[in-house]
Amino acid sequence: MESRNEFEPKIVAFLCNWCSYAGADLAGTSRMQYPQNVRIIRVPCSGRVDPLFVVKAFQDGADGVMVLGCHPGDCHYQQGNYFAQRRYALMHRLLEFTGIESDRLFVEWVSASEGKKFAQVVTNFTEKVRALGPAAIKSARRAQPVREVACGETLQEVSA
Amino acid sequence: MSSVEQQIRDAARQYLENGVYCVTGYERGPRGKVRPAFIYQASDVDRLVWGPECDLNLVNYVHQFKQPLRRGEPPPKVAVVVRPCDARAINLLVHEQQIKRENVKAIGVACTGATPGDPERQACQVCHERVPVTYDTLVQAEGEAGAPPAQDNYTDIVDMENWTPRQRLDYWLKEFDRCIRCYACRQACPGCYCFECVAEQVDPHWTSIALELPEKYFFHVMRAFHLAGRCVACDACEAACPMDIPLSQLNRKLAKEVEALFGYHTGEDPEKAPPLTTFNPAERLPL
Amino acid sequence: MKVLTQAQLKAWLDDLAHNLTLVAPVNVQGKLEYGKVSGSGDVAWDYQRTDMSPKTWLFPATESVLTVRQAQDGTQILEPPEPPPTVLFGVRPCDARGNLAIDALFLNKAPSDSQYARHREATTLIGVACPQMWASCFCTVVGGAPNSTEGLDILLTELQEDKQTLFAAQVLTEKGQKLAANMPGTEREVALPSPKLTAGLPTLRPSAEWQARFNEVYWQRVGDRCLACRACTFVCPACRCFDVRDEVASRQPGVQVFERLRAWDACTSEPYRRIAGGHNPRPTPQSRLRNRFYCKFMYYPQDFGSLGCVGCGRCIDACPVNIDILEVIASVEKMAG
Repeated sequence: MESRNEFEPKIVAFLCNWCSYAGADLAGTSRMQYPQNVRIIRVPCSGRVDPLFVVKAFQDGADGVMVLGCHPGDCHYQQGNYFAQRRYALMHRLLEFTGIESDRLFVEWVSASEGKKFAQVVTNFTEKVRALGPAAIKSARRAQPVREVACGETLQEVSA
Repeated sequence: MSSVEQQIRDAARQYLENGVYCVTGYERGPRGKVRPAFIYQASDVDRLVWGPECDLNLVNYVHQFKQPLRRGEPPPKVAVVVRPCDARAINLLVHEQQIKRENVKAIGVACTGATPGDPERQACQVCHERVPVTYDTLVQAEGEAGAPPAQDNYTDIVDMENWTPRQRLDYWLKEFDRCIRCYACRQACPGCYCFECVAEQVDPHWTSIALELPEKYFFHVMRAFHLAGRCVACDACEAACPMDIPLSQLNRKLAKEVEALFGYHTGEDPEKAPPLTTFNPAERLPL
Repeated sequence: MKVLTQAQLKAWLDDLAHNLTLVAPVNVQGKLEYGKVSGSGDVAWDYQRTDMSPKTWLFPATESVLTVRQAQDGTQILEPPEPPPTVLFGVRPCDARGNLAIDALFLNKAPSDSQYARHREATTLIGVACPQMWASCFCTVVGGAPNSTEGLDILLTELQEDKQTLFAAQVLTEKGQKLAANMPGTEREVALPSPKLTAGLPTLRPSAEWQARFNEVYWQRVGDRCLACRACTFVCPACRCFDVRDEVASRQPGVQVFERLRAWDACTSEPYRRIAGGHNPRPTPQSRLRNRFYCKFMYYPQDFGSLGCVGCGRCIDACPVNIDILEVIASVEKMAG
């Protein structure tokens, strides 16, 4: 159980199989250090990352979400990252408007050879989210809980 | 020139006598409330009325007529009474290959804009359309100048953008709190025609069936996103909502960003694809 | 019967709120629903009929049926917590009859719904009679009345005496007597005002007449404009359809919690009617809407003995396309000749 002073952000990262995930692998094999806060989910392409995943991640307890894909022009599936680019440009703005700071969503291009860049962006983003604090959206339930989970823990506590 | 109502009735009669299966317009019920009407016979066209209370998007009903009535036949031809905003939905659905343009006869009613100061018609206050972007018959009121075309400067949206994130979150949670997840907004929207909505999908199980705040937030934010670049700003969702939730604001926020990033206005041209359904290899967007 | 002043009623409610969960009409951003209040000050006193019925306090919109907790120390299957003793204040007679309609299925027909039974057991209902029938009301058409005592534990009737607003309390049940033990006021006889009834309402035909009209084209036409949303069902005090899903409540290292969740659903909605294999026996909004009316006026009375409609009129106000159940009743009357 973390102490009040030491907030450890939960970061969920969607990495595309061909570039950013390989880049993360390279960071690992090169023994580069990066914060353990990140939970990596491998997807075939950054274009696979549905904005649904992002909202669901925030609601289920993520404080920050990363979407890392291939550089424009290098997508394994030709155009997946172009779609992702458009989608996420809009998603940033929609999230910001509905109360999730757009700084909590980080989208970047990381290639398979950029292990150092991967470690860098994860480190930077973790610190940024740590400074932002816990995401307010995950504990957004009605003031009077309509139902309590039977084992005595309210859903709020359980997902902390 | 006869009144708008008379013109609509005449057009409806014309279409019914010339191979159209059904005309969708509005009628007044016994309690005096305006509601969608389906006219199948020319003798019934006098049921059709027109007025400011006609605030749903009747193009929504063309989804019911996409299938043939009898096996082996083509889908029926239908006529639909549309405002300029509604007509944009026709272009959207033609582009998305949901309907064939020749199967829908649009009775386009030129709009006189919103009554100044009318709080009910958000989308109308900032609309620049007066004539439907597509129509087969144009219906115009004689001599009425109406309110001049406006420009949506998104002032209320920009105002909200200057709040703190927490203020915005609290605002939306407060608005979504009274949502009852009835889906009237989704069902009234011509752009929402998925056979299985993500909000109801069992596999993958995106969101709980609970009628609670996190699920309502998820539903409204995702619906707004799935309509990004596709919403025609008809405000049927807001008109249908039994709880008066300001859905128009969410959709207009995305329209503002789509306009800024891609210079796109939904429904103006059936050839132009909504931005999220296409891409540009040379484009580099601020992430 | 006891007669209370407004001040006495408010003081009594404040007292009740201290020891029990007090639920009353509240204003949530301009919409009236039944919510938990900390005292009479939170109550929205000026209401004709709330937008949402009090049904959610007996049949919650979202409810856990059971919870499974898997941890290192073993697996537990847990029942939902006991509902606390609750007082539902400000219930209109139509809403109380709505509860009786739900009782007909959930309690009176075996097997009974134990969760619903627990909510019923824990809740005492204080009704407030309507001085008149409101704009979209038709309780008298379906066997009710603005001052009906059916389904209530206590009924308060507002009356004016010497320019003062008073409430006459009829204590109707044992539960009501227990609650009214410390109710303030003067014990005396008083003439209760008769509510103003709406004239010219149609007559509801018996279910056999509905059965005979099942294939009329009328049902296609009235359902043409139905959006297949769930608004009418959710605002209805008598509707009780629901969906059940097994969901993950939380997954932590070493502890996983799963819930079997029950939530409101509506027969008007397309996915509701889908069966295994993907087939839908009611694929069109027209067929589902017809089913909704038939459930209320034919199937329910035939199967459970009571109507599935209490005449509150909320569906008429909530429907985005003005599908009007009273108009439907009048149309069946006309068709039956």
